Amino acid sequence: MPKISVPSPRRHFTASSVTGVRRIVSAVADAARRWSDADFPPRVRATRAIRERTGYTEPVVDYALDTLFGALDADAMFATIASELGSLDALETFVARPGRPDVMYRGVENVAIVSSDTTIGVALPALAFALCAGAHAIVKDRSDRLIASFAETLAQERPELGARIEAIEWDGADDAASRSQLAHADTVIAFGGSDALRELRAHLKADALFVPYGHRTSLGYVERESLADAEAAREIARGIARDALLYDGEGCLSLHAAFVERGGHVDPIAFARIVGDAFDEAALEFPAGYESDAGLVTYRRSASFRASQGRGATFAGSMGPHLVAYDAPHHEPPPLVRRTLALYPTGGPEDALAFVRRYGLPLEAVAFGHALPRADLVAFARASGASRIARLGTLQRPPLAGEHGGYGRILPFVRAIYRA
Amino acid sequence: MNVPSARELDDAFLSIVRDWSAGGAGCDERRFDELALATFAYQRAHNLAYARYAAALGYADERMPDSWRDVPAVPASAFKDATLATFDILGAELEFHTSGTTAASAGKHYIERAALYDAALLAGFDRFMLPDRPKLRYLNLVPNPRRQPHSSLGYMMGHVSVLRGDGNATYALEDGVVNVATFSRALATACAEGQAVCIAGTAFAFVALLEALEAAGTTFAAPTGSRIMETGGFKGRVRAIEREELYTRLESALGIARRDIVAEYGMTELVSQFYDSPESRGADVRVKVAPPWLRTLVVDERGNALPDGETGFLRHVDLGNRSSVIAVETEDRGYRAPGGGIVLLGRAVDAPARGCSLDAEDLRSLAASALHG
Repeated sequence: MPKISVPSPRRHFTASSVTGVRRIVSAVADAARRWSDADFPPRVRATRAIRERTGYTEPVVDYALDTLFGALDADAMFATIASELGSLDALETFVARPGRPDVMYRGVENVAIVSSDTTIGVALPALAFALCAGAHAIVKDRSDRLIASFAETLAQERPELGARIEAIEWDGADDAASRSQLAHADTVIAFGGSDALRELRAHLKADALFVPYGHRTSLGYVERESLADAEAAREIARGIARDALLYDGEGCLSLHAAFVERGGHVDPIAFARIVGDAFDEAALEFPAGYESDAGLVTYRRSASFRASQGRGATFAGSMGPHLVAYDAPHHEPPPLVRRTLALYPTGGPEDALAFVRRYGLPLEAVAFGHALPRADLVAFARASGASRIARLGTLQRPPLAGEHGGYGRILPFVRAIYRA
Repeated sequence: MNVPSARELDDAFLSIVRDWSAGGAGCDERRFDELALATFAYQRAHNLAYARYAAALGYADERMPDSWRDVPAVPASAFKDATLATFDILGAELEFHTSGTTAASAGKHYIERAALYDAALLAGFDRFMLPDRPKLRYLNLVPNPRRQPHSSLGYMMGHVSVLRGDGNATYALEDGVVNVATFSRALATACAEGQAVCIAGTAFAFVALLEALEAAGTTFAAPTGSRIMETGGFKGRVRAIEREELYTRLESALGIARRDIVAEYGMTELVSQFYDSPESRGADVRVKVAPPWLRTLVVDERGNALPDGETGFLRHVDLGNRSSVIAVETEDRGYRAPGGGIVLLGRAVDAPARGCSLDAEDLRSLAASALHG
């Protein structure tokens, strides 16, 4: 158990009392830009450590870090804050709102960000916005010390910002130091499974804001209009393969199930074959971070048996441990195993919605062939509980300016003061 | 190869069971091969779904397996996806269902002749659970077979309770919930009478029982000769330490020594069962042994047999499965022990999951909520 300094109640910072929010955003973006360089020495060290911790291959870790730091862009941060608060100025002074009282926002004092042991840098966007709000942030860091290393870079940009970050190792909510840190936090952002989230929540002070990011999955839906010709089908298949194989299919934005509408230029079984080929291509770009997977073996055997009975087909691929199973039975849950996708032919989105509801699937995102899908598909996505609609192939690059999990980016770290 | 009749195969099987029960005679490699290949030929002719699968794997009249090791195995999940029977299932004397999230997703094992099942289960139980041939009182933490006739575990314990028990069996599992009061009353009565008991249940049921007994501060000293048959694991996620802890707690709560706690390993998809070998019951690592008509291959992901000691998937070849499928590939992992038998490691589990995705365990609880909510 590492020694952890417990923050004592401290003088309240506002963004303006430390430095203006514009300068904070610029500092975060500048630090992120340095980390976007794959040869930046701290990133090289972190990449190695992340690979050791997670087992992901180098292209996957590089993709994760490029996506992570590339998203921490000043314009996106400015736009997000201005959109959520109505104005950047609202962090420093009252601003007028049509039809509502004037408002300004006070940043909370203490924020705790508890990232899970299994993800790469998910705490960073939350940390960036917590800093913009003027908060002191305690972040559970991993053995790769990614957060601590980024904080060091940030401190080089703005020493006062580095001083507001405590990246610590954390043994869980069981130990006294962790409990004390949680009990001091005004806002707690937590990533993890249901049990871990429940345990954390139990340790918070009564008026703390808790923002949980539980385990979720994402769903694909290929509408018939998007299968207008063979090239369009190949493009969508490449997107599906990327979304399914990145992070070995272990992220909440990873695809494990996709519905394919009948009636397109390419029929569902032909499309499944194209997706199988696309998996082979994507596996070259993003190789598996493991040699074998018992879950995949078991699922593959079942799918092969079904195929032998004339029900569905399997496209196992030749480039590594992955599988596309066509026409998997609806009475079975989606295959939540690595690098495995079930494709379901369908007549319309009602099938997909029934499937989601049957298994109570908590969805992070629904991805379609087109960026602007039909109205009935939007209605389906809305009813599915997903917090994001995306185009297939872009699932693993969520924009910073989007609401992660349906929550605001900076809103959890501020409290409104209205004048009336 | 001439395709034998069901009667010929059944007679041959029952003869092995009888010989083993009577004097411990085994079934040598040649005999096992002969019967396994004959059974495969029979099933290929009479079990359409299995024949299709075998054909998809390349088996044909001119390419038949050379030994029992080559007999194609269906995944256990195949019992959910197809009717795997060599006969009209309307004539099934037994029908067992696997657990499934929904009725539609439960696997079904149809057995044409109960006599084969009964003979296999009694022979194994007698050998491994009742070598001293006592008349025990059965306290069953398993489904009552009258209420759940499709539970293979319930059927097994029901059969044993009637044929080997003292006539006062108790079932203390109702709708999947342990009735602690019923169990405690039955065990207290047995203790007062000095009647040795056999307590049979799944690991989950025992954990629920222990939690209730420990919360109430209740302990028993089961009469001498009492024993426990534990089965079912922890939904495949059992770790050795968990089982050790379970046995320690059972010993304390029920007064039954660890060496008298025997783990049975069975599957709805198989007619026959494995048990902890008597020699390994006091050891750190318990070895599962089977009757001679049930053999196991440890295979890798591609289905290739692995050498002794190497961990892989367990593929069982059960001559008792004459009316369904002789070879079943499981999700269970294990390895062959040096002196024979297998060490069961539980359901196939890879390295801990990374990422923020749902996993199968999350899904099980979500699906249960969705169904019951």
